[in-house]
Amino acid sequence: MTLAYIDYLILAIYFSFVLGIGWVLKRGVSSSSDFLTSGRSVPLWITSLAFVATNLGAQELIGMCASGAKYGIMTAHFYWVGAIPAMLFVGLFMMPFYYGSKARSVPEYLALRFDEKTRGFNAITFAIMTIFSSGISMYALGLLFQLVLGWSFFGSILLSAAIVLVYTYLGGLTSAIYNEVLQFFLIVLGFAPLSILAVSRAGGWEGIKAHIDPRWVHSWKYMGDPSQNPMGVDTIGMVIGLGFVLSFGYWCTNFLVVQRAMAADSMSAARKTPLVGAFPKMFLPFIVIIPGIAAVALSNMHGGYELPLKPGGGPDYDQVLTTLMAKFYPSGLLGFGLTGLMASFMSGMAGNVTAFNTVFTYDIYQSYIRKDAPDSHYLTVGRLTTIFGTLASIGAAYLATLYNNIMDLLQLVFGFVNAPLFATFLLGMFWKRTTGHGAFTGLLAGTTAATLTHGLTVAEGKGGWITPMYEYRSTMAQNFWVATFAFLACFVVTVIVSLATAPRPKAELKSLVYSETVMPQEPETPWFRRPWPVAIAVAVICFVLNFMFR
Amino acid sequence: MLDLRVPSGWFFLIMGVILTVLGLFSGYSAALTTVNANLYSGLTMLVFGGALLWLARRAS
Repeated sequence: MTLAYIDYLILAIYFSFVLGIGWVLKRGVSSSSDFLTSGRSVPLWITSLAFVATNLGAQELIGMCASGAKYGIMTAHFYWVGAIPAMLFVGLFMMPFYYGSKARSVPEYLALRFDEKTRGFNAITFAIMTIFSSGISMYALGLLFQLVLGWSFFGSILLSAAIVLVYTYLGGLTSAIYNEVLQFFLIVLGFAPLSILAVSRAGGWEGIKAHIDPRWVHSWKYMGDPSQNPMGVDTIGMVIGLGFVLSFGYWCTNFLVVQRAMAADSMSAARKTPLVGAFPKMFLPFIVIIPGIAAVALSNMHGGYELPLKPGGGPDYDQVLTTLMAKFYPSGLLGFGLTGLMASFMSGMAGNVTAFNTVFTYDIYQSYIRKDAPDSHYLTVGRLTTIFGTLASIGAAYLATLYNNIMDLLQLVFGFVNAPLFATFLLGMFWKRTTGHGAFTGLLAGTTAATLTHGLTVAEGKGGWITPMYEYRSTMAQNFWVATFAFLACFVVTVIVSLATAPRPKAELKSLVYSETVMPQEPETPWFRRPWPVAIAVAVICFVLNFMFR
Repeated sequence: MLDLRVPSGWFFLIMGVILTVLGLFSGYSAALTTVNANLYSGLTMLVFGGALLWLARRAS
């Protein structure tokens, strides 16, 4: 793929806007909470788009298009079964506690609800994990731009890291959130044309159906038997593992996304952030997944597009998106699309860096290193943490070039740590009897259960390092079940240990637990703008989408 | 605080102008389509950018 001068001009204009936004926002930063939590002042339309955009990183874009080609429309389960119900749940039921408890972060909620050891465990694992995922996404950026455009691997990493560093250093969380929204617009306007052009070239949805294996165009029809669908998953594993445990764990407890809602300017806006965000989220499969399916149909038609191949043979699905762009986009729009890709890499990194900042400054530094300093001290620490976080991400990206296997291992380990988290929050928020000792031992038990499940089962040659007792048809099915067992173990152990330990007095649990909290009512808001009606509208549309592509 | 609609509005107006001009006057084309993608995307961005600026203006 070759770029014209005009494509570089578009990229340069984007960079100047991003830096300019950071520069202007710098004036609004005068305290640590402005810098680390946006001073709880961001309007709803911005938080809701940022909530969706944080997750729409470039790896997601490339990965969803790749999965579209590899598994077909079943990939939409990640949206219509996974994300949407979880987003409705976090908005309706969990945000009143996150926002109402005045916690500044998810780990801080754990400290208020349970105890320091539970917070410490969550804060430290989260901090390490964000740095590594930021590093891994930079590594992916470097590889992609090296492969597609022939740019220098470290050159593109250092350039994008420098830009991210400048705008997050200047404007903090607000700057990261604003640029995520700009990135969201770029992605939609930059990739919707690709979907339209590729699908119409293939003769519309009917044309695609005529030139592709029917299992690629039905999301539910072949779910009954794992051997019959391209993902190799069963309905129960998918609905419970993905739809319940993994998605609820991600959207409801991962501070990276929850932080966007916690920056909202009111309780009402915080609750509606994920609900309103669900509207664009539901339709993203048409932009990110459908081009991958169209690519397979086009390739089967042999009309000028062939799926990219790996050097060793077999399709290289990760390159589907960029090869489609090269075939369908003229210079100009091509630069715009690549700018969108670069933007999503950068804002993914900025999201990680800002979440890391908040957790490090408030949950690690202020809690365990220096407790009672003036606020200006924590603002300085937050700014310095930005620099440290960016440098550490670059270090992690460098590490990834040296030891690719270590990165896989780390992601696996963090998966084990994350898998049971949702059980802890569910019990903590809705069962007042849950205790700190219960939560902590539950988390350890869940992580152990995840590790054991992975060690005792194999899928596509992965896992089974203790002794292989069961084989799944795909690593995806294995992931779903690992998460399910982790959730169950955490749930059961938390309940047992809680019942055996002393409960916390009711008075301390106000605005932390459902039964001790008055859920927010909004009598002055018109009924159609209250959380429940908005959520019901989302649920109905989501059901229709599932039904249409069944 | 900065109204995000203003910088995003200007950004997409500028992008819209660049792509529309390219679509009208340049011979840039792509391998697999005869559609003037630059022109239509450019016009969409002009409308989108203009709408953002209009909303920001109305709010202030």
